Amino acid sequence: MSSSKQSVLVFFTSQVWTNNQVLIAILGICSALAVTNRLSVAITMGISVSFVTAFSSFFVSLLRKYTPDNVRMITQLAIISVFVIVIDQFLRAFFFDISKVLSVFVGLIITNCIVMGRTEGMAKNVAPIPAFLDGLGAGTGYAIVLIIIGFFRELFGFGQLFGYQVIPLEWYASAENPEGYENFVLMVSPPAAFFLIGGLIYVFRKLQKTA
Amino acid sequence: MPESKRPLLSPNQYTLFFIICLSFICALILSLLASALKEPQQNAMELDRNKQLLIAAKILSPYGYFLVEDEGETFKPAKFSDQGYLVPSEDKIIPSGTEIMQVFRRRVSPFLVNAKGEETTFQKAGINEQAYIADYKKSGYYTQREKLIYKIFGNVPEGKTPAVQGYAIPLNGMGLWDAIYGYIAFKPDGNTVIGTSWYDQKETPGLGANIAEPLWQSQFLGKQLFQESADGKTDFKSAPLGIVVIKGRVSEVLGNSPKSHNSVDGMAGATLTGNGVTNAFRDCLAPYRPFLIKIHRSYKTGEGK
Repeated sequence: MSSSKQSVLVFFTSQVWTNNQVLIAILGICSALAVTNRLSVAITMGISVSFVTAFSSFFVSLLRKYTPDNVRMITQLAIISVFVIVIDQFLRAFFFDISKVLSVFVGLIITNCIVMGRTEGMAKNVAPIPAFLDGLGAGTGYAIVLIIIGFFRELFGFGQLFGYQVIPLEWYASAENPEGYENFVLMVSPPAAFFLIGGLIYVFRKLQKTA
Repeated sequence: MPESKRPLLSPNQYTLFFIICLSFICALILSLLASALKEPQQNAMELDRNKQLLIAAKILSPYGYFLVEDEGETFKPAKFSDQGYLVPSEDKIIPSGTEIMQVFRRRVSPFLVNAKGEETTFQKAGINEQAYIADYKKSGYYTQREKLIYKIFGNVPEGKTPAVQGYAIPLNGMGLWDAIYGYIAFKPDGNTVIGTSWYDQKETPGLGANIAEPLWQSQFLGKQLFQESADGKTDFKSAPLGIVVIKGRVSEVLGNSPKSHNSVDGMAGATLTGNGVTNAFRDCLAPYRPFLIKIHRSYKTGEGK
């Protein structure tokens, strides 16, 4: 019993670590560039994607024996879309501030390569529970990368974390103190995430080689 | 399984049947969800709009806690008391949505002004308040014959009649990427700005989106809506009306000249957003000029007594 339980959990851990979708498969980069300039936004996006990947994988797997092969992509898309709209409506009702910032990117989870990749590459071949864990793992791996990037971008771009000033305002350059600290403007624009992801891939591969 | 159903349906028929069922189930789930969440969503939008107005009026801090003004014209953190008004508090307590709505209803009341600056209420003008606010959000209330404006009342305990502490005007404009919406609040003299807030904007994060940041908004306190002329007086009938977002810093570009009182620092890398904000102030405030002159006159005579 314990060995089978462990083998199911492998679906989760492999997605978080060894096969991380962003760092190994280089998927989901588009949204990782777009929504990581605030930590709170990055976390919400990570949770949303985890939710969508996990549940759409589960339902795609549940229907895998009944889905005609020639319409399987459309079926997957329909299921994914339902969960994305659920998340979007939910955020708008209960987390309005964050949904304002995420705006179109929640809707664009539908086209997030990770979701489609997991349903097509894994969920349609395995039982619902492993598929669910696989999807959850893929989403979590994505969320972790987003949080790391969001941390650096918010800290250096705004001098804040979760919207609270971390770098003291007295350090900033002003008329009296022109030599002071200034926010790193590149960090707030998407190219910064591009460099950060590149650096993260390098560090990640090094770590995996030594492990 | 498709195999076992072969006698009943051909593969193509099965595919069709499957897709129709799937679509139907998905549509059912989504429509149920949409109708169930419609009310919380509308409430969330209304709460956000009201919060922004309270932020412009400095009743709510941009960081989420209430504010009260003390004699020194500084703003201190406050909490919501059982008597229905705000009391100063040491801790920065984040109020609930219902508390914010309660304070909004007590402290803010919408009314209408026309091109001559005469006040009227929604009831007298025969306008449905809810429909009016929803219908003209995009086109701008300032384009209407009866223009929307909010009265802001002072912080007094239940039962007492509060004095008018200020007014707030809704703003519409075009930023660099899309429409921007905001509020500007000013004192009963019709000239001195209390604060501003911009929301529902899609400007570049870190550059133009700074218009929604507390730090940038904080410089509006004490600015003047009407531009002072060189002799230090203000000609309310002809002076340019509105706050100007300049390029660079006010202290460096304008020093202490009359223009500096109605200018705010620009944002590096966001000149076009700044221009959009300047235009929004100019266009949205212009139709209210007769009203501003009127309240300024009555304020001055009140002061004379």
